[in-house]
Amino acid sequence: MNLLKTVIVAILICFCFSINFSNANSIAFSKEQLAMIKTKNMGKQWLMLLWSVDCPPCFKELAIIQKLQNQYDGLAVVIINSDANNEINEEREDIIDRFELGSFTNFHFVDGKGDQSRFFIDPNWYGELPRSYFIENNGKFHGKSGLVNESTLIEWLTP
Amino acid sequence: MYALIYKISFFVTLVSLLSTVSNSVAAEHAHKAMTSKTIQGSCEKLAITCAKTVTSAFAPNGDLWRLWAINSSIYFQISLDEGLTFSAVNQVAIDKEKISARNENRPKIAFDNYRGVYLSWATPKEKKYTADVRFSYSSDYGKTFTKPITVNDDNLMTGHSFNELLVTDEGDVSIVWLDSRLAYQLRLQGKKTNGSALYIGKANYRKNETVFSNEQLANNTCVCCRIAMDYNKHGDLAILWRHIYGDNIREFALLTLAQGENVRPTPYQVSYDHWKINGCPHQGGAISINENNRYHMVWFNQGDVGKGIFYASSNNQGKSLTKPISVGMQSAQAAHPHLNTNGNNIDIVWTQFTGTEHQLWHQHSKNNGKSFADAELLATAHEGSDRPFIIKKHNISYVSWHRPKQGHLVQAL
Repeated sequence: MNLLKTVIVAILICFCFSINFSNANSIAFSKEQLAMIKTKNMGKQWLMLLWSVDCPPCFKELAIIQKLQNQYDGLAVVIINSDANNEINEEREDIIDRFELGSFTNFHFVDGKGDQSRFFIDPNWYGELPRSYFIENNGKFHGKSGLVNESTLIEWLTP
Repeated sequence: MYALIYKISFFVTLVSLLSTVSNSVAAEHAHKAMTSKTIQGSCEKLAITCAKTVTSAFAPNGDLWRLWAINSSIYFQISLDEGLTFSAVNQVAIDKEKISARNENRPKIAFDNYRGVYLSWATPKEKKYTADVRFSYSSDYGKTFTKPITVNDDNLMTGHSFNELLVTDEGDVSIVWLDSRLAYQLRLQGKKTNGSALYIGKANYRKNETVFSNEQLANNTCVCCRIAMDYNKHGDLAILWRHIYGDNIREFALLTLAQGENVRPTPYQVSYDHWKINGCPHQGGAISINENNRYHMVWFNQGDVGKGIFYASSNNQGKSLTKPISVGMQSAQAAHPHLNTNGNNIDIVWTQFTGTEHQLWHQHSKNNGKSFADAELLATAHEGSDRPFIIKKHNISYVSWHRPKQGHLVQAL
C-alpha cells in the first residue's frame, strides 16, 4: 500500500510540475530581470547575445557559443530570444536544446512586448540580428549588430 | 510522512485542476461574449486580433479584402465600405498547411479583372530555414480555391520564401521570392555562399498556363528582408530588394524587367548608406511608380553613411536618383516605411516607438516628392505593431496597420 501511495505521490508531483513549469528553460525577460543580470555580472566581462528563430546568422553565433562552452569553463554568457511571439515557444526551446545552451541563462521577450524589451536594453537598437552586447566589468555596454567571429568571442569571454 | 506528502500533493493537484477548469469556464464566457461584440484586449483563437500579421488589398470592384493566418489556415474578410465594417470570417477552402506569417513574411493577395482572387504564401518545411512558395487561385471571388501548388520547381529541401505577388487585370501572375537553391547546391560542393537569390515565376490560370516558370534574376540577396515590386508605365515589373554588396554591405537594388527582352539588365544599386552587417536587418523597402514613370522608393538602413528611413525617386528606372530625404525621427525608432503614389501625390507611412507606445506616422507630398508636409501621428498601439502598408482604391490611398490584440486599422490618407 505504501508503494502505491509513493507512486501516486510521484505522479501527482510530476503532473503539478508539468502544468506550472512548462518552458522552464527560458525565462520571460523584463526590465527587472535585466537589472538582476547586470548586478549579478558586475565586476566581470560578459556577453549578452540576442537571437531569433527567423535569423539564420544567429544560429552561427549560437553554434560558436556551443563550441566554446565545450572548450572553456564558466563562460559569462546570457542568451535572449527576441521573437516576442508565443507561437515559436516550442521552436525556441528546441533550438536551445539542439545547441546545448540550456546551461546558460536563457531569456525570451514576452509576446507582444518585443519593442519594449528592445528599447530598455538599448533605444538605439532597431532589431537587426544577431545583436551582441559586450559588457565591461564596470557594467558599460557595447552593442554590435551582425555575426561576431569566434576569435573576438574568445578574446572577450576568456580574458 | 507519506500521508502528509500525499495530502499536500492532493491539495495542490486539486487547486491546479480547479484553476484549469476555472480558466476554461472564463474562456467559454468570453467566447459567448465575442459573438455579439469585440472585447478589448481579448483574443479569440481565429480572430484577426490574434494574428501577428494582416494583409489587405482593394479588389477592382472596390471591395476591401483582408487576410491573416492562424493555426495553418488562412482566413479572410471583405469590407464593402473601405474597412468600416467587414463580412463574417471566411476560411480559405484549402487543406491545412503551415503558413509563414510573422514580421517580413506573410501571405499575399491579388486580383484580376474577372473576379479572380490569387493567393501566395510560404510554407515552412520540416528542416529549419526551408520552405516552399505556394499558390492558389479562385475563379469565383473566394468561394472556392484551387488545390495549392508549389511555385518553386527545384524540389529541394531549402529556402524559398519572402514571396511577393502581382497580377494584371488579365490574370498574368508574377511571383518573386528569395530562393536558396543555388546556395544549397554550392554548399554541397563545399563552396562558401552568402545570401540567397532573387527568383521570379510566371503563370496565367485564365489561359490555363498553370505551371510557373522559374527564373533567377539576381544572386547574393539578403536572406530575411521582404521584396517590393510594382508595374511601371509600360507594364514592366520593377523589383526592389536588399542586396549584399562586397563584404556584407546591405544596400537596396532595383531591377526593371522589360517585356520581350531575354537578356536581363544589371540591377542598379539605389542606396549608398554603407550598412555593413553579417546578419538580418529584417527591413525591406517599398516602391511605387506613378503615371509618369517616376519610381518612388523608401528604405531603412543603419549604415556608416546613412541611418534611418530614406525616400528618393528616379525618372530613369533607377539609373540615377534624387538626393535621399530623411523621413521620421531616427531617435524615436522610425522604421518599417511604406509608400504609395497617385500622380504627383506621395504618401509615406512608418512606425515609431516611444518606449511604451507604438506610433503610426504619415507624411504627404503634393509635388512629386520635392517637399513634404509636416509628419502627422495617425494612431498608436500598445501590444505590438505589424508593418504598415498603403493600399490604393482608385486614386485614394489608405493605410493598413495591424495592431495585435488591438485590431486592424484601415484609414484614408
